[in-house]
Amino acid sequence: MSVPNEGNDMSSSSDAQLSSHVFGDLLDSIIVDVASECHRIAKLGLDRNFEEEEEELRLSAQARVRVADPSNSGEANSKYVVDIFGQNHPSVASEVFECMNCGRSIVAGRFAPHLEKCMGKGRKARLKVTRSSTAAQTRNSRGNSASTYSTYSNSNSTSRLSNGASGVAGEEYSNGALEEP
Amino acid sequence: MSSMAKITHPRQQINGEILPQPCPHLAEFLSNNGSKPFRALQDCLRVKPPGGRASIRRDPKEVPRCGACGESARPRLYACITCAAVHCHVPSGPSHAAAHAFSMPPGHEIAVDVDRAELFCCACRDQVYDRDFDAAVVLAQTAASTLASSATSAVQQYAPENLRKRRRIDYKPWIPNLREQYLVGKNSSPLNGDVSDLPWGLRGLNNLGNTCFMNSVLQALLHTPPLRNYFLSDRHNRYFCQKKSNADNAAKKIAANTIDGGGNKSAARVCLACDMDATFSAVFSGERTPYSPAKFLYSWWQYAANLASYEQQDAHEFFISMLDGIHEKVDKDRRKPESQGNGDCCVAHRVFSGILRSDVMCMACGFTSTTYDPCVDISLDLEPNQGGSAKTGSTKSSHSCNGEADCMNSSQNCGVSTLMGCLDRFTRPERLGSDQKFFCQQCQVRQESLKQMSIRKLPLVSCFHIKRFEHSSVRKMSRKVDRYLQFPFSLDMAPYLSSSILRSRFGNRILPFDGDEHLCSDFELFAVVTHTGKLDAGHYVTYLRLSNQWYKCDDAWITLVNENIVRAAQGYMMFYVQKMLFYKASEKPGPA
Repeated sequence: MSVPNEGNDMSSSSDAQLSSHVFGDLLDSIIVDVASECHRIAKLGLDRNFEEEEEELRLSAQARVRVADPSNSGEANSKYVVDIFGQNHPSVASEVFECMNCGRSIVAGRFAPHLEKCMGKGRKARLKVTRSSTAAQTRNSRGNSASTYSTYSNSNSTSRLSNGASGVAGEEYSNGALEEP
Repeated sequence: MSSMAKITHPRQQINGEILPQPCPHLAEFLSNNGSKPFRALQDCLRVKPPGGRASIRRDPKEVPRCGACGESARPRLYACITCAAVHCHVPSGPSHAAAHAFSMPPGHEIAVDVDRAELFCCACRDQVYDRDFDAAVVLAQTAASTLASSATSAVQQYAPENLRKRRRIDYKPWIPNLREQYLVGKNSSPLNGDVSDLPWGLRGLNNLGNTCFMNSVLQALLHTPPLRNYFLSDRHNRYFCQKKSNADNAAKKIAANTIDGGGNKSAARVCLACDMDATFSAVFSGERTPYSPAKFLYSWWQYAANLASYEQQDAHEFFISMLDGIHEKVDKDRRKPESQGNGDCCVAHRVFSGILRSDVMCMACGFTSTTYDPCVDISLDLEPNQGGSAKTGSTKSSHSCNGEADCMNSSQNCGVSTLMGCLDRFTRPERLGSDQKFFCQQCQVRQESLKQMSIRKLPLVSCFHIKRFEHSSVRKMSRKVDRYLQFPFSLDMAPYLSSSILRSRFGNRILPFDGDEHLCSDFELFAVVTHTGKLDAGHYVTYLRLSNQWYKCDDAWITLVNENIVRAAQGYMMFYVQKMLFYKASEKPGPA
C-alpha cells in the first residue's frame, strides 16, 4: 500500500509509512488465516455442497416468480371443480355418522362443535363451571402438556397458529390461549 | 431436479475418517520417522484460551524470526520439524523456507506454521495434513479448557453413555415363507384398487368443524414412510391391543373386587396408536371418498383435555400432543422407562426422535459443559427483520449485527430467509447475556458463557417447525409472521451435526469419529404443512410428495399441483425423511 509522501516533516512521513507497513502486515496475516482455513476445509472434504444449495435457491426464486405470474393457471387460489378422483365436495362435509359419545346422528362438518358440547368441553361448556377452578385446571394442564418433548431450553411453545372461528373479543379463555405463561 | 456431483477430493476414508493423501515428501518423512516428531511438538504447542488457536513456540515468550533474513513480521513463518530452524515464506516470492529444504540433506522438507500450527511441505510449497499431528493439537486445545482429570477423554466425550453402539447389518427384505403366505392368504382379502394409477393412501379428510389443523398433520403422518410402514405392517394391531387392554382391565377389576356396572363409557381406554391404526386402514383401503377422522378427534380430545375446544388449535401443538399420546400409552404398558433418545420406547420416537447437544463454554477459562436432550422436532425462529423497522418482539440474543452477517453469508439471495439460514443460526455460538451467567465448574464462579447447539443424532424423519407466531409482551399483542421462507427439496444436515460443529470448533482438525453419521445426513422433503390467513382465522393445507408428484391435501380436496406451488408456499412445518436407511442389529430375538 502506498501512501503519498506528504509533509516535509521526516517523522510524520516515516510514521505514516510505518503504520501502513504494519497495517499491510496485519492484513496479509488475516488473509493467510482465511486461506489456510479454507485450504484445510477443502482438502479434508469438509466444504458444504454450495452448488446444490444455490440450485435450490434458484429453483425457489424461479418458482415464486412463476406462481406470482397471473397468466399462469392459478392453481393455488382457484376454486376447486373436481379433485383428482373426479369428485366434488360441499363446503360443509355432508357425511353423516353416529357420535361415539352420545349416539346421535351428526353431520361430519358439524361434528366438532357438537362433540365439544357433548363431551362437556370447550368454551360454552366450561362457562357453566365456576371460573376459578376451571382456570386453574386449564393453566395446570396446559403447563403439563406443553413441550414435554419439544426441543431445547431456549424454545417456548409460544408459536402457535390457530384456525378456529374468530374468537370473541374479551373472552378470558381465548385471550389465555394466545398468550403463553 | 438436476443432480450435482460433489467434487471428489483425492482422499481416503479409514473408518469414516477423512484423510487426504500425503504428498510424497510427507509420506517419506512419516515412513522414516513415524509420528514421534509430531508428538514431540506437543510441548511447544501454546493455546490461547478460551477455545483458542494453537501456535508453536519453544518458549512462551519467544518471537520467531527467519533464520536467513531476520524477519519476524512476515505473514508466514515456518519451523522445520527436523531441525527447528525457522524461516519465512512468501508464496510466489522468495521463500527462505523452501531454500532451507533444498539446501539441507533430504528430510527437511516438512515444516510447521508457527502461528497456525499447520504442517507445510516446503518442497511442494503447500499445506499438508496428518492425523497424528492434528490429534496432538486437539489434545493441547482441550487440555487448556477442561478439568485436569478429564483432559484425555475430552474429545471422546461427544458420545452420550446411553447411546449403545449397535453393529450395522445388511438389509434383507422380508419374504414370506409358505406357511406365512398361507396364513396371510387365508385371513385377508385383497383390496380392490381403483383403475387409475393414483397412489395408495391418497384420500381426502373431511373437515369436522375447524379441524384442518388436525387434517393437515394427519396427512403428513399418514405418508411418513417409516410410520406408514409400521402401521401397514400391522405392528400395532388395534384389535389385539383392544382385546389385551380389556383383559387387563377385567383382571384388574377382579383383583380389586369391584363390581362392574356394565360398560361405563368413560372407562373405555384411549389408545391413540389404535386410532392411528384405524385411520391408516381407512385411508389405504382404496376407498377414495373423503374419510372423517371423527373417532380420532374424540380420542385425542379425551387425551388432551385442555386442548379439547372447537377453536384456536395449532397444528404444531397437535403434532407434539399426538406423539406424546402415542408414547405415553405405550410407555404405560411397558412399565419401564425406555430412553427416548434411542427411540426404543415407541414408534413415535423411533421415527421422530433425535438427540440435541448443548455446549456451554465459559468465556474466561474455556471449560465446556455438555448436555444431551431428546427432541422430536426442531422449532426455528425466522430471522429478525432485515432492512425494515427494527422492532421485533423478542429474542434476547439477536444483536442487530447478526442480521447483516446473515445477509453476507447467504451470498446472492440477500433478504430471503432460508431454512438452512435458520439452521445456521440455530447452531451458531450464542453469547448468553450477562443476566444469564453460567456457573463454571473450573472457575467455580458464574461466568459469561457461549452456548452452542448441535445435533448429536438425527432422527429418521426431521420435522422443522417455523415459529411464525410473534408475541410482543410489551404491546400485549400477537401477530403472525408471513414472511416467505425458502426450503430445499433436498437437505444435507451434515453441517449441523455435533461432529461437524465440534470439529469446526477445533479449527477443523481431523478428529476420530463414528463414521456412520455423514452417511445418513441426506434428507428429502416429502410433506409441507402450510398456513394461510390470519393468526386466528386461517387455514392449514398439506402438500405431499408421492411417486415424485406433488399433491395438495386441502381437507376433503386432493388435487395435483406443480412443484413450483410447493416451493413458493408459506411453510409452517416441513417434513424430511432420510434418503438412505441403515439397519442395525436388534437386541431382541424374533419379531421386534
